[in-house]
Amino acid sequence: MLRATLKGMASRKARLVLTSLAVVLGTMFVAAAMVLTSTMEKSVSGVIADAYQGVDTVITNGTDPAAAQGNTPSAATVPADVLDRVAGVDGVDRAVGEVSGQVNAIGSNGKLVGTFAPTIALTWDSGDDSGYIEFHEGDGPAADGEVAVSAKFVADSGLDIGDTVTAYSYTADRTDFEIVGVYGLSGDRDSLAGETQIMFTTADAQRMLLEGEDAFTTVYAYGDASTDDIAAAIGSDEYRVQTGEEASAEAAEGFAVVADFMGYIFLGFGLVAVFVSVFLIINTFTIIVAQRQRELALLRAIGAGRGQVVRSVLTEATVIGVLASVVGLGLGLLLGWGLSQVVSATMMGGLPVQLLIPATTMWALVVGIGVTVLSALIPAVKASSVPPVAAMREAVNPPKPLRGITIAGAIVFAAGTVLIALGMTDNLGGEELTGILSGVGIAFVGVTMLTPILSRPLVALLGAVMSWSFSGRLGKLNAGRNPRRTAITASALMIAVALITGIATLVSSIKSTTAEVLDLNLNSDLIVSGAQGGANIPSFSRETLAEIRELPEVAAVGDVYMDFFGTQIDGEDAPLASSEDLNAALGVFGGTVAEGSVTDLAPNSVVVDEGTAEDRNVALGDTVEVTYADGETAQLEIAAILDGYDLTNGWWVSPEQIEHFTLPKPMQAYIQLEDGADAAVVQNEVDEILADEPEVGVTNNAEFVDQQTSGLDTILAAVQILLALAMIIAVIGVVNTLVLSVLERTKELGLLRAVGMTRGQVRRMIIVESVIICLFGAVLGIAVGIGLGWTVQRALEDEGLTNFALPWGLIVMYLAAAVAVGLLAAIAPAARAAKLNVLNAIAYE
Amino acid sequence: MPLATPPAPPIVRNAVTASGLWRAYGSGEAQVVALRDVSVAFASGAFTAIMGPSGSGKSTLMHCLAGLDTTDRGTVNIGDTVLTGLGDKALTKLRRDKIGFIFQQFNLLPTLTAEENILLPASIAGAKADPAWVNRVIATLDLSDRLSHKPTELSGGQQQRVACARALATRPDVVFADEPTGNLDTRSSAEVLGFLRKSVDDFGQTIVMVTHDPSAAAYADRVVFLADGQIVRDLHGPTADSVIDTMRDFENAVPLAGKAA
Repeated sequence: MLRATLKGMASRKARLVLTSLAVVLGTMFVAAAMVLTSTMEKSVSGVIADAYQGVDTVITNGTDPAAAQGNTPSAATVPADVLDRVAGVDGVDRAVGEVSGQVNAIGSNGKLVGTFAPTIALTWDSGDDSGYIEFHEGDGPAADGEVAVSAKFVADSGLDIGDTVTAYSYTADRTDFEIVGVYGLSGDRDSLAGETQIMFTTADAQRMLLEGEDAFTTVYAYGDASTDDIAAAIGSDEYRVQTGEEASAEAAEGFAVVADFMGYIFLGFGLVAVFVSVFLIINTFTIIVAQRQRELALLRAIGAGRGQVVRSVLTEATVIGVLASVVGLGLGLLLGWGLSQVVSATMMGGLPVQLLIPATTMWALVVGIGVTVLSALIPAVKASSVPPVAAMREAVNPPKPLRGITIAGAIVFAAGTVLIALGMTDNLGGEELTGILSGVGIAFVGVTMLTPILSRPLVALLGAVMSWSFSGRLGKLNAGRNPRRTAITASALMIAVALITGIATLVSSIKSTTAEVLDLNLNSDLIVSGAQGGANIPSFSRETLAEIRELPEVAAVGDVYMDFFGTQIDGEDAPLASSEDLNAALGVFGGTVAEGSVTDLAPNSVVVDEGTAEDRNVALGDTVEVTYADGETAQLEIAAILDGYDLTNGWWVSPEQIEHFTLPKPMQAYIQLEDGADAAVVQNEVDEILADEPEVGVTNNAEFVDQQTSGLDTILAAVQILLALAMIIAVIGVVNTLVLSVLERTKELGLLRAVGMTRGQVRRMIIVESVIICLFGAVLGIAVGIGLGWTVQRALEDEGLTNFALPWGLIVMYLAAAVAVGLLAAIAPAARAAKLNVLNAIAYE
Repeated sequence: MPLATPPAPPIVRNAVTASGLWRAYGSGEAQVVALRDVSVAFASGAFTAIMGPSGSGKSTLMHCLAGLDTTDRGTVNIGDTVLTGLGDKALTKLRRDKIGFIFQQFNLLPTLTAEENILLPASIAGAKADPAWVNRVIATLDLSDRLSHKPTELSGGQQQRVACARALATRPDVVFADEPTGNLDTRSSAEVLGFLRKSVDDFGQTIVMVTHDPSAAAYADRVVFLADGQIVRDLHGPTADSVIDTMRDFENAVPLAGKAA
C-alpha cells in the first residue's frame, strides 16, 4: 500500500509541490519569527554584557525600577553617601557613580537629534579600563561644560568635535556644551542599539538630569566583594544590589522589545499562512481523491479495507507535511537570520548579530506536519467511502447538494451573530469583549461554510461584468460549475482580505472620528504641536506662546499645559490640564460651560466636565484634593462644570497651578485667526516664531489629523504585507483548482477547439474563470472585513470611536489586487489549456 | 453499379479533395502508417460514408480532411482553400467557418443550453447566425421545445440531434460526422441518420461520415472503404446488404486487416 501511495505521489509532482509551498511558507514564517526573537535577544544581551564588562556589582534605587532607566522625569537616585559607603566595603577596589537618562539635544538643523531612538546622557568615568569606550578623536570631558559624544551622535546631529551642542531635559533648561571627544564602542560600533549618546562630567549630568542633586542613578562597584556585604554596608533595603550579570540580563530585556515586536508580526504572518494553507490542503487532497476515485475503488474491490484507504491518503499527507515543514524550517532559519541582520542594521544601529536557534523552532515542524495531516483527514475519510463498484462505472461526480453545509453554516453564523449582539447590548455579565470577539470568530467560520451557496449569485453577478465576450461567458459558467470547489479556493483569499479590510476599516473609522472631533466645533485654523520623539513630551516656551498671541492676525489662542506623571484628584490617578486663559481656550476648542463660570478663575479653582464629575460624584462648589507630580497637594474648588466634549474632557486647574506641573510649558496651542486672515501666511509667520523650538511645528487642522493618525498608517502598511503573503498562497490555490478544471474538461476544450475556438479565446476563458474566483474571494472578504470592522467599531463606541468610515481607496486597491492575483494564477493553466492537443482531447477509447 | 439513367452532371464540384495523403505515427520499428497515398474527392451536396475495420485509418483520414491532424505528404482542399501548410490560427478559423462537426460523444458543453450549444460556433466567431436558417434547422430536428434545456436534461438521441443542429447552423461547406450514432439505440440512430440524409436532400449539405455500422452507411450516397491505410473499394448507392457484402469481400482479400467491427 505504501509503495502504491508513493508511486502515486510521484506522478502528481506538480500539484504536490504547489501544495507543499503553502505549508513551506507557513512553517518558514513561524520558524523565522522564533529565530528572529531569540537571535535579537541574544545579540542584545551580548552587547549589554559588553557594557557591563568587568562590573561586579550594580547598585540602584529599588523604589522605582523604571526611574533607574531614566525614562521618567523624577529619577529615583542613589545618594553620594551610599557611593562612599560602597567604596569603603572590603573587597571593593573601586566604586563609581553614574548618572544616566534621556536628554534632548538640538542638532545642526535646529531640530531634535534622533527622534526615533533616544539620546542617552551618561557620565564619563576616567578610571574605566575595560576598553569598552574607544575614543576616535579627543577625550572625555575634563571640565564642566565639555562633553564627549558617540560617533552615532555625530552622524545624526551634523555636529562634530569642537562644535557647541545645546542640550536640555525635563528639569534642565538649554545649556551649551563643547564637544571635546568622539567615541565608539568596542567591536567597532557607533552605538549600543541605535541610540545616540552624550557623555557629561558627573556634575553636569547631575545638573541636566537630577536638578543638581549630588546623587547617581547607578553605582558600579569593582572588586570581589559579595553583594551581601555591599548591601549590608549600605544598610537600607531601599537600594537594589545586583551582580553585573544580573543587571546586564535585566537591561537586555528592555532592549529586546523591538525584536520581540518584529517577532510577533512574523509569527502572525506565519499563523495566517498556516490557517490559509488548511484550505489549500483540503482542496488539493479532495481533488486528488476525486481523480483517484477509480483507482481507490479498484483497491477496495481487490480487498483493501477502508482503514487502508484512509491511511494511504494520510501517508501522502504526512510525506508532504514532513518534506514541506523541513524545507520551511530550513528557509525559516535563513529568513530569521537575514531578518535579524536587517533589524539590527536598520533599527539597532548595526548591532552585531549572534545567531541563536531556539529549541522552540521545532514547533514550526510540529505545526507544519500537524496542519497538513489534520487537513487531509476529511478528504481521506471521503476517499474511504468510495464504493468498490465505482471502479466498474464511468466516474461521474455530480456536485454534491449544498443543503447540509448551508444549513450548518447558517446556524454557526447565527450563533456568532447572537453572541455579538448579546455582547454589544451588555448582556454577557462582564465578559462583553470576550463574547464579541468569540462571536466574530464563530461568525467568520459560519461565513466560510456559507461560501459555496454564496458563490452562486455572486459568481453570476461578477461574471455578468465579464460576459461581454463569449469566452468570458464560458469562463463565468465554468467558475459557477462547482460551488464547493470555487468556494474553498476563494476562501483562502477571503480570509486574508477580510482581516486586512477589517483593520483598514477600523483605521479609517479612527481617522474619521479624530477628524470629526476636530472639525465639529473646533474654531482653530492652525495648531502648534509636536510628535513624541525626544526625552519628553513635546513642548515649547511660554515666550513663544506669547509671541504667537501677539501676531496681528491671531484672534484667540487656546493653549494647553498637561501633566500626568502621578497626578491625582482625591487620591485617584487623573491627568491634569491647564490653560493661561481657559475662557478664551474654550472658545477656540468649541467647548461650552454647563454650570458656573470660567472667567476670572480664582487661583485655587478647578474645572471639570460633567461626565467626570458624575463618575467622581462631585458637583459645582465642591472641594477636591489635587496631588501634583512633585508630591505637593492643594485643595481646589470646582468653579465650573463643562459640557461633555472630547477635546475638553478632564480636569482643568487654574493657571496659577501650572508651576507645579512636571513640565510647566505649553504643549499645544490652537490658534484662531481673525476673519479674512490668510491661514497659509500666518502659518509661515508662526513657523518662523517656532524656529527656535526644536520639538514642535505648526500645522493646519487637516495636517494635524494626519499627524495624530500617522502611526496608524504604519500599522496598516505592516498589515498589508499580510495581504501580499496570503496572495501568494491564494495564487497557489487558484492555480491548483484551475489545473484540475483544465484536466477535467479536456474533452470539452477539445470540442471547443474543434468547432473553431482559437487558442487566445481558450486562454481568455480560463483567465476569466480565474479572475472571477479571485474577485469572489475578495468581494466576500471585503464584505466580511467591513462587518468585522463595524462590529469592533460598535464595541468601541463607548470608548469614543463614534464614527464608522469605509476605506474606499483601499477597498478598490484590494479588488485590483484580486484581479492581479487572478491573472497571475491563470498564466500556467491557461497556457496548458491552449496547448491542448485537439486530437487527443476528442479521441475516445 | 452504374445508375440506370445517368443524368449528365454539368460540373461535379467537389467540397473536399485529398490527393496523395500519407500519415504515419511513431518512428522506427514502432512506426504505424495510418494513411498510404490516399486520394479521394467528396462531391458537394453528397452524403459519403467512410468505412473500414479498426485501425484501417478511417478516423485519421477524417481528422486530416478536417484540419484536425497534419499530413506527412499530400494535399487537402476544402472548397477553394488548401489546408496543407496552414497554421493553427487559419485552421481554427477554417473549422469554425467552413466545417461542421458531429462526434460520437461529448458533443455539447454541459454549461450551455441546447440553443446556446447550437449557436456555439457563431458565438465563438462573435457573429450572429442567420436566424431564419437556424430556426429551420431546429424545426427540422424537432428541437423547438428543448432549446432551453441543458444537455444533462436531454436523452442521448436528443443530444445528438442538438449536435447535428450545431454542425449545420453555420451552413458549413462540409459536415464531418465521426461515428455519430455509435452511442445511440436503434431508434435514435435512425432519427439522426434520417436527418443527415434529409439535410443533404433538402439543404444540399455535404456530409462525410465515418462509421463501422453497415446500416448507417446505407443512408449515404456513396461508401468509401479503407483498409490498411488505403482505399480498397468505392461503392455508390449502397444498401446495408451491399455494404456487408463488400466488406466481407475485401476482408477476405486483405487478411491482414483483421476483423471488421
